[in-house]
Amino acid sequence: MPSKDALSVYLASLEKRTYYDILRIRPDADAAAIKRAFHEFSLLYHPDRYVDSPRDVASTASEIYKRGVEAYRCLSRQPLRERYDRAVGRGKVRLEPARPSTVPPPPVQRTLTEIAKTPRGKQHAVKADRLITAGKLEDARVQLVSALQCEPDNAELAERLQILYEVLALEPP
Amino acid sequence: MAVAVGIDLGTTNTVVGVVRDGVAAAIGDPDGYRLIPSVVSFHPSGQTLVGRPALDRRLVDAPSTIYSVKRLIGRPWGSPEVEAARGKLPFELREGQGAATQVVARGEPYSLPEISAFVLRQAKAVAEAGTGEPVERAVITVPANFNDLQRAATKIAGKLAGLEVLRILNEPTAAALAYGPQGKEQERIAVFDLGGGTFDVTVLDLAGNVFEVLATAGDTALGGDDIDVVVAERMADDLLKKHRFDARAQPMAFGRLRILAEAMKRALSSADQHTVSGDDIVPGDRGKTVPWSFRMTRPELEWASLGIVERTFKVCQQALDAASLRPADLDRVILVGGATRMPMVGRKVEQFFGRPPVVRINPDEVVALGAAIQAALLDRARQKTAGPMQHPRIDDRSVVAQMPTQAEAEAAEGLVLPVVSSAKMPAARKAPDPVVNVAETAALPGQLLPGAGAKPLVFDLPAEASSAPFELELPRQHEPSRPKLTVPGAPPPPVRPRLPTMQYPYQAPGAPPPAAAPPEPVATPVAPAAALHAPPPAARAPAPPPPRPAPLLIDVTPHSLGVETVGGFCDMLIDANTPVPCDRTRSFATAADNQTTVRVRIAQGESKRFAENTCLGEVELAGIQPAPRGATQISVTFEIDADGILNVRAKNVATGQETAARIQLVGAQDDPAAMAAMAARQAAHPLAPLG
Repeated sequence: MPSKDALSVYLASLEKRTYYDILRIRPDADAAAIKRAFHEFSLLYHPDRYVDSPRDVASTASEIYKRGVEAYRCLSRQPLRERYDRAVGRGKVRLEPARPSTVPPPPVQRTLTEIAKTPRGKQHAVKADRLITAGKLEDARVQLVSALQCEPDNAELAERLQILYEVLALEPP
Repeated sequence: MAVAVGIDLGTTNTVVGVVRDGVAAAIGDPDGYRLIPSVVSFHPSGQTLVGRPALDRRLVDAPSTIYSVKRLIGRPWGSPEVEAARGKLPFELREGQGAATQVVARGEPYSLPEISAFVLRQAKAVAEAGTGEPVERAVITVPANFNDLQRAATKIAGKLAGLEVLRILNEPTAAALAYGPQGKEQERIAVFDLGGGTFDVTVLDLAGNVFEVLATAGDTALGGDDIDVVVAERMADDLLKKHRFDARAQPMAFGRLRILAEAMKRALSSADQHTVSGDDIVPGDRGKTVPWSFRMTRPELEWASLGIVERTFKVCQQALDAASLRPADLDRVILVGGATRMPMVGRKVEQFFGRPPVVRINPDEVVALGAAIQAALLDRARQKTAGPMQHPRIDDRSVVAQMPTQAEAEAAEGLVLPVVSSAKMPAARKAPDPVVNVAETAALPGQLLPGAGAKPLVFDLPAEASSAPFELELPRQHEPSRPKLTVPGAPPPPVRPRLPTMQYPYQAPGAPPPAAAPPEPVATPVAPAAALHAPPPAARAPAPPPPRPAPLLIDVTPHSLGVETVGGFCDMLIDANTPVPCDRTRSFATAADNQTTVRVRIAQGESKRFAENTCLGEVELAGIQPAPRGATQISVTFEIDADGILNVRAKNVATGQETAARIQLVGAQDDPAAMAAMAARQAAHPLAPLG
């Protein structure tokens, strides 16, 4: 069983390794080779292999294992693998999230009810919140437009309407 | 020394298994019953009855007798599952704090994990009586399709029962572990698990000692119980026609019909037709009841349950699609769960997969045996016998059957005794269903055997097993002289070869029996004891095959995990069928000036719309330094652990400091105060002693 230090050093080194390096396969490895490599990787780092190790050793191994899972899931699905190969070409070692990185991380939303300031506006905002939760985006848009008519200066509300328009544009007709 | 057990906590029955001295076995209670009905009854005396003693209380004390909890565990108040169950169950459900679903018995509310904890305590007591050792640790199985809430609730139940939960294990994966590899270098198997209340199908890749789950799919509201309901509906129609009595309007009467319907279903697995009578269902004049009986043929039953059985194949297709496989790509299909005893299920499975399914281990016990093996694997650390992964010797013995098995056939009948007179069921009593008899004991291929100073984990299966379709190994069975469990250090019991294989009576009519199987045990169901006790001819053990290293399970998460994002959408973090443990990190920014707490709603499911998925609750990130909106970014790592349960940790992107992160699950009472209250209630309810 590897020592805690050895595992920690290896874990840190994963930040610079490609998925191919983590699984120790060639960049042209086929599906069977990837699977074989993942099995071997699992035998080395799966948490079940560390049940009789000290907790910190086991958790370090678990962190390594999760990186291997990430690599395996990416490389064993062709579209992701192609995207990853292009990312590697740009010097990346991990697959970026599906959305382009220019989009800011999804902000945690305040409800429309919280954003609306006037009583009339709040009435519409409550309905809009409920409709969004129910997935009825078009109806929610109507309510949000009404809310904005009550308080045309509410910039945050206007921004949320804009987002809703964008989402609706993505919706299938 | 304390032992670790595997517990199959089922919708209708619970089974506890243990590996000792290299042999996995299901443990019977002092009377020999290995199936513990998952029923809890709160007796007026203050005692809590669990299992068989509670079963009959369903009829005499229905409001205080709780069953089918597994269908509701981890389902918050207001969820479709709870709404559907309300009014259909004879006991009271109510809303607890934080949208928790509770049951009320004798005026006291209990959370659902508490009820399951009573069943687990009974399983623990049975295991302790059977092994003579304290039981402190367990692997508990759940349907593969269980979501985070259901898994977390099951784990709480284990803790309340005084068990350290070594692992929440998926039932089909446990079954695959019990069957073990077939000796081939690589093979693909499907586990078709149709239980009392849930259906799962799991596709695995077996390569050497690695069991990799490729995909799993399931339906948590599809099982043998649904077939009982369909049959009970037919009975209700018959009562209405013959006696103008509407059983549907009376939950008690319909409950009795369901018990009769289950007896009918079981009987028709071996008989071509069957008649049940419920003379006490229809009230007549002067307190007397009107005699009524109902006859059904197997084709009628099959026609009635066709829709339910067909639903399983939609789920199978889903799992195959997820693994990018066709039915013909599978090398083996294993049947698990009591409902697979219906001949039609075996036939339809064969049609779908194009190969006969395998049933070599009792489908009621195989999950508990697999869980026991996993428990032994994970308990290595505590058992100071942890040795090298490679083990020197292998043996190929069957499971030690510790208890007389006649009891189990009676246990099956015990379910129907209150309403079905034995005289009406000659087939069931005199010539018992060969399936039931054969399946009493599991011939466990993967065994854990004693070796030189180590606790070897042997995983081997002779190739003979695969040759004949639908075969069941007849294991060596309940020899009275045999010690219950061999003492450590003692020489291994003598090795005996397997008895001739027996055909599982799922075969299509007219098909020839497998060549290896002598026809007698199949065609004429003989007294099981005689057949099982027959000494094997020329008892010579085959040479031990080479040692196999301990198996490794790579399981997956059944559902995608996502967070709510702008516009009511679900931003997927972890895809369904990703191996566990796994994690994914996302950053979240504050949305308002001086915001100190950020809440992120989380859900499991495959829809892009958040509302269409199962909302798990929210992650609360607290203690954020006041700053302008958007200035603070918190990166949150969502981890699904080996139990399939979600954990989170968070840190401030700019400072790198840990941020407090807490998951608040919907309907879960997992805070320390609630846990303490539930634990106190467990302590206040002693279980009725065994036997």
